[in-house]
Amino acid sequence: MRNVIATPETLTYGVLALLGLISLVGTYLAIVEKDLLKAVLFSAIQSTAYAFIFYLLMAPDIVLVYVPVAVGLYPAIVLFLIKKTERFEGDGNE
Amino acid sequence: MVMPDWLSNLSVWVGEIMIGVGVVSDVIAAIGMLRFPNFFVRLHAATIGTIWGAFLPLVGVAILSVGADYLGSYRWFMGGGALITAVLILILGPAGSHALARAAYRSKAAKVEPKCVDHLEEHIRGEERDRNA
Amino acid sequence: MAGIEQQVTTFTLIMFPIYILAFTLYIIRAVKGPTIPDTVLAIDAMTYDLAAFLVILSIFFRSPILIPTAIVLALWVYALDVYVSKYLESKEMGG
Repeated sequence: MRNVIATPETLTYGVLALLGLISLVGTYLAIVEKDLLKAVLFSAIQSTAYAFIFYLLMAPDIVLVYVPVAVGLYPAIVLFLIKKTERFEGDGNE
Repeated sequence: MVMPDWLSNLSVWVGEIMIGVGVVSDVIAAIGMLRFPNFFVRLHAATIGTIWGAFLPLVGVAILSVGADYLGSYRWFMGGGALITAVLILILGPAGSHALARAAYRSKAAKVEPKCVDHLEEHIRGEERDRNA
Repeated sequence: MAGIEQQVTTFTLIMFPIYILAFTLYIIRAVKGPTIPDTVLAIDAMTYDLAAFLVILSIFFRSPILIPTAIVLALWVYALDVYVSKYLESKEMGG
């Protein structure tokens, strides 16, 4: 029975590493991107990857709170702010 | 409630076949999403990924969990949750795709590339002309 | 009875890398996507498939408490879809 259990855990750790890499790429692109609407979508990729990480770490209660906040409310507020101000980040010389 | 052996075997097999078909069409939809040339063609791949790649495996899980006796009586809860998620995706996926396609067309964010005739564009242009007159 | 358990576990283990491959391809399109609707569409399709995968994983881990996360995920990604399309249309109307 031990070696039956060992294989899924190894696979789970590999998927956790891949998800951490994906969330790193999403965070980097969200910081670098000049188009703020695209930056919101990259942070949505990052929060989806985090939700899956919390799920694999067996914390479904945190997923239930994290998904509405990070996928639902946060893009809504940021998109409202972008609509009220301006979409492209300036160079700082205007 | 004890289920006959052949019935649980049958439901597990049917559920596994549905999950397998769903996974294969999921990979096909991902490849199509990567290879297709523009947004309005990629909508077709999104349709495959939503209905065949998400709705079908969820119904398959609902059928599989009925026959999986080792899960105990909680398997009815798992099957019901899978069925509710399937119905939600069946309603929400097409609605979201339609809203997105309408917004992309109206705001001219994506180009309509393989196009012979576009009656909607003439209609919108006619409406604008009427409004300005 | 042990036969069914073994069969379902092995089947889910085979499905695991194929789903991860599909998610990686979707994320490549979401990062590359030339326009905004491309990115939103890729995230949308990826998250619906992720909801299906979470339900399959809860069968694999044999814990029924993991099921409701899939419902929440499917509902809130639709909200993201509607926000972005409303933003694009309102900009076109000049609001």
